[in-house]
Amino acid sequence: MKDRIEIVASGFGGQGVVRLGQIVGEAGVKQGLRVAMLKSHGTEMRGGYVRSQVVLSKDAIDSPICESPDYFIALSSAAYERFKDTVPNDGIILYDPALVEKIDETLNCTQKAFPAKTLSMENFDKPLFANTLVLGVVAKIIDVLDKDMVLDSILKIIPKFHENNKKAFQIGYDYTF
Amino acid sequence: MKRFLETGNFAITEGAILVGCRFFAGYPITPATELAEAMSLRLPQEGGIYLQAEDECAAMHLCIGASLGGYKAMTATSGPGFILYADPYGWALGCECPVVVLNSGRVGPVSGITGAPGQGEFYLMRYPTHGGNFETICLAPNSAQECMAMTVEAFYLSERFRMPVSVLADQLITDGFEDISVPENDAEMKEMGFRVWPRKIHQGPDFYPVTDELDIPPVVLGQNTGALCSDWTPTEEGYDIEEVEAHHKHAYRLIYKVRNNRHIFNHLYEKVHMDDDPDLVVVSYGTPSRVVNTAVKKARSNGLKVGALRLINLWPFPDEHFSLNTKYLVVELNWDGELVREVQRAAPKDSDVHFLGTCGDLPTVPRLTETFEKILKGQPLQRIGWEVEAW
Amino acid sequence: MEYKSSDISSAYLRSRKIPSTACAGCGLGMNHKIVIQAIKELKLAVEDIIWGTSIGCAGRQTFGTWKGDGVAGTHGRIYAIARGLRVVLPPNKELILTVGDGDAFGIGLNHLIHAARSNADMTVIVNDNLGYQSTGGQYGWTTPQGSKTDSSPYGMFEHNLMSEGMDVLHILKGAGATFLARHVSMDGAWAVDTVKKAILNKGFSLVHMTFPCPTNFASKELGSRDPVKIFNWIKNHAAPMGQEKDDTIWVTGIYHDASNSRPEFSRLIHETVEKIRRTGTL
Repeated sequence: MKDRIEIVASGFGGQGVVRLGQIVGEAGVKQGLRVAMLKSHGTEMRGGYVRSQVVLSKDAIDSPICESPDYFIALSSAAYERFKDTVPNDGIILYDPALVEKIDETLNCTQKAFPAKTLSMENFDKPLFANTLVLGVVAKIIDVLDKDMVLDSILKIIPKFHENNKKAFQIGYDYTF
Repeated sequence: MKRFLETGNFAITEGAILVGCRFFAGYPITPATELAEAMSLRLPQEGGIYLQAEDECAAMHLCIGASLGGYKAMTATSGPGFILYADPYGWALGCECPVVVLNSGRVGPVSGITGAPGQGEFYLMRYPTHGGNFETICLAPNSAQECMAMTVEAFYLSERFRMPVSVLADQLITDGFEDISVPENDAEMKEMGFRVWPRKIHQGPDFYPVTDELDIPPVVLGQNTGALCSDWTPTEEGYDIEEVEAHHKHAYRLIYKVRNNRHIFNHLYEKVHMDDDPDLVVVSYGTPSRVVNTAVKKARSNGLKVGALRLINLWPFPDEHFSLNTKYLVVELNWDGELVREVQRAAPKDSDVHFLGTCGDLPTVPRLTETFEKILKGQPLQRIGWEVEAW
Repeated sequence: MEYKSSDISSAYLRSRKIPSTACAGCGLGMNHKIVIQAIKELKLAVEDIIWGTSIGCAGRQTFGTWKGDGVAGTHGRIYAIARGLRVVLPPNKELILTVGDGDAFGIGLNHLIHAARSNADMTVIVNDNLGYQSTGGQYGWTTPQGSKTDSSPYGMFEHNLMSEGMDVLHILKGAGATFLARHVSMDGAWAVDTVKKAILNKGFSLVHMTFPCPTNFASKELGSRDPVKIFNWIKNHAAPMGQEKDDTIWVTGIYHDASNSRPEFSRLIHETVEKIRRTGTL
């Protein structure tokens, strides 16, 4: 594992961005890692973006800020535009093409389109499970995260719809790019 | 030990409960509201009392009342509310009443930006009230876990020193989530360095001794001790008096009980790469220190002889850390430069003291490392229009 | 009143503050004696009462007089201190606050209203000397309209909390106070009876009691520092409820008595906390 792994998730208010970061952080705690998770809120909540910044490390975490995220989960065009340039060349941007319309082809990092909203509509008739689908992908692509711990954290932090969440998580986990 | 992914507010609440705080009074204000909410949920479960006050001034006075009744009490606010503590803070200093006060800093002056961290209250924590003739103790944690530890320590110091003790945090650590370990028994508390001092009851008839001694129990009313305490200059028995000599005696105690007993808390600091007399010492407190630590470690790996000094015990100001005649860079979450003034005073006369201020956002690692390089090369920090880079 | 002041002095008051530092002819002592006499008639002991005071003449002169525990707050804050203290004190302890009109009805009114709202068990005696007299004699919120003071040299022309049908006691009633009364310091045994009722109410009680200030108020408004003049002036402008005349300023008697009708603040808090502690819910 690298000294520290930085994960940024960003989108609109009400999309569950903070909860998404919380679930990743909770999984880290369950795995015995040190975790820092900042949520940007307040003025940014109205009209701008909401952001979760998660740092995972085996050791005490100095800066809690994700200045060059290894993983950036973009859930809106505004969030994508705002943070895409912070992702280093070996970083990964995971975006939902239903929410991020225009992709910057000049970036050197890896960009993975994951149709979370569409998959949620196809499988559950509503967009509600998009984040859990994303977390399935996150559990797969972030090596340090243990699949079972991420699922446990989802079930702990989202008290409702356990069966659908389990199913959505697995669909995300099994998705091939 | 239980581990949680939780906020600094959670950590403060659990820390307070661990050391026997059973009274909290607050008034809603971002970003301290969530602490009040956590207290309103948790305290009754422990048989404790949560009161929502009519304003911040009342909030701290309610705490004073509870403390006078023998309870360990705490209040929390942010800058615009802290300013309303001026009145009760002075009362608690003068009457030697233990209360723990948390201030979660945001961007000011006035209401400013509610949801962004700031450090504009460095001097306000030193002078939270009018009139002078007192010392204050202020502790500044830089993580959620340390929020718990410093809350615990603030209660310990407030009982021993018989005075209000403040914890200065900011929105990033009180609202931010981190992995937090909560001790479950006395042994685990001891292992984490948590010190607890029980509330004792002053038996009177005297109100205070004209000495700097600690561990004098505070006045507790309703115990048939005939205790007196007031906002006026007290005699040693607690009567009000208008005599300069009486005031001088009381002031001596308020000043020197703290000054002469700093050894009890002056170990509260952190030094990173400070063993080899660095060419540049980066000074900070609170959340910015965490970015500073990242930047200093990075600079070291690039061969720059940089060290980091983080103050946890902010007041009384720990002059002893500034004996090295070297270059200093002070990093703060304000643009006017507050801590830097104190560093300039404490550092050797001809040392070179610089300032880097940001507000609302933490400084970035590249900006810090670039600044280190400039200072070490003797290049001036520039002032570009309104964007102040030099102090 | 059938009592010798020396008796109650030795039983309840500290010798240190006797004689007081009040101005010659000050009427505060009359109010103070009324409260002490009520305590005596209720057969309360020194340790049964915690005495709180404000700033200004009323607070300063009564602080440290009670033989038991005493606490003084800064301007207007004693009500908030008392409320915090009330909720952690044993319920059998009485909290008596002797405060001034500026403290209670000016700077402390917000805290006072919240003490009334929560029905915190305390008895507030507002000793009204018709303005801010310890700072030299400025008008306050119950200073009669037209009165000349140091800060109303042309006569007090503002609306205040006792003019044109307005009454600070109405505010406190609306806020939830369970016992409210008004007296002047010449009411003697009648006022003692009222203060006894106020203390017996397990809830928020307030007795507004006007007393003469010869030094500042009288010298400006009446042009004389003769204590007899201001004494008579207040007496002549006071009348029991139902016997008001055109020039009555202070209508005396019990305004509102809902004693023991509403849960007391600290009892409510403790019962609630205990239920949550035991069952985790309400």
